[in-house]
Amino acid sequence: MNTLAVIHDLEKKVDDFHLGPIDLTIEPGTVTALIGNNGSGKSTLIKLMMNLAKPDMGNIHLFDKFVYGQDESWKQHVAYLPQKQIGFSPYNGHTLRELISGLYPNWDQPLFDNLIKAFQVPLDKTYEKLSPGAQQKLNLALTIPRGTKLMILDEPTNFMDIPSKSLLLDVLADWVERDGRALIFASHQVEDIRKLADYLAILKDGRQIGMFEKERLMETYQSYWINGLPEHAAIPGLVERQANGLVSDDPEATESWLKAQHISWQDRTSLDLEEIIGLLMKHH
Amino acid sequence: MKWPIRLSKDSREPIYHQIENQLKALIAGGQLEAGTPLPSIRALSKDLEVSVITTRRAYQDLEQQGFIETIQGKGTFVAEVAGTSRQQVKMDAVWRALEEAAETARRYDYSYPQIEELFSEILEQLRKKEEKA
Repeated sequence: MNTLAVIHDLEKKVDDFHLGPIDLTIEPGTVTALIGNNGSGKSTLIKLMMNLAKPDMGNIHLFDKFVYGQDESWKQHVAYLPQKQIGFSPYNGHTLRELISGLYPNWDQPLFDNLIKAFQVPLDKTYEKLSPGAQQKLNLALTIPRGTKLMILDEPTNFMDIPSKSLLLDVLADWVERDGRALIFASHQVEDIRKLADYLAILKDGRQIGMFEKERLMETYQSYWINGLPEHAAIPGLVERQANGLVSDDPEATESWLKAQHISWQDRTSLDLEEIIGLLMKHH
Repeated sequence: MKWPIRLSKDSREPIYHQIENQLKALIAGGQLEAGTPLPSIRALSKDLEVSVITTRRAYQDLEQQGFIETIQGKGTFVAEVAGTSRQQVKMDAVWRALEEAAETARRYDYSYPQIEELFSEILEQLRKKEEKA
């Protein structure tokens, strides 16, 4: 078995929102960031993967099993952190740990203890009494040590302070490197995506724009500083004209066209990941 | 500890190649001795903000060329590098730097004789500076 998750031609309609078709393959040792505008369907996609909603079309395999079959034994191999935990409010951290650790045979207690200590989460306070940041830290401490092959985190760092976030990224990097694991996380935090993601799955309004390897994507986009670009020319690779030049998603084609037209560029720079994501969302 | 690797996103040299060459330079230059453990692929990827695909490619190339070795279950380490490879790396690094300088000059429409003159002048100044020191 070489893939942990395979999503094929997945579609789902919820009222007037349409998700899909989505195609995604998750291999061991990889980190995939789910990126998209608000309401792009990231959380819906994750819920479908966890069999918390039924797809209209297509299918999802986790560990070679259909997720909507009778047999839900695959669930003990997946650690899922939703954006909102339902039913946690009246319990304190000790009780939640007891409830959750019992469900996962490979529960890593030392890792839980380390996370609680590093995040400084009080375990004797009830969940509802914790700040949003502390709730998120407790949730992560209850999710990461489950000893699963696959972990799916829905916006894990929204409320986190800077030192905790950097600690979390270290913990996740270490987690994913062992035992052929894979991590999928939905995020709006470019910093997390830059540091952790190998692949970017980008959604817009329910449509999948693509699945990109990070450096490939970075190398694809180049911005050129050019004086005197002819106004109505059809330029190969052109993504966007700017005040002093253009952005290309096919630098080779753009440059050979420019050379053929005897137009020289004063500068050529790569774009930030943030800008590239913005352009992808704008032009697709 | 942060590794002394500086990536230039604007360079035409692919990122994996930059990682590869900078690690090679550190090994050939003796800053990294044989047996020094290298960071795991994921840890270095995180520090450099690149994907593991990129870092793995650099490590694979380095391993093939005998600069590093992976010991199953223990990690990746700097290998014993032959003197000839060291010389080759140094030669390559100097070659690339000079080539890049020459290309910059050509981009600004300097002629070949003009570039030669500039190089001589730079060498002359450097020699004077070293003699003073």
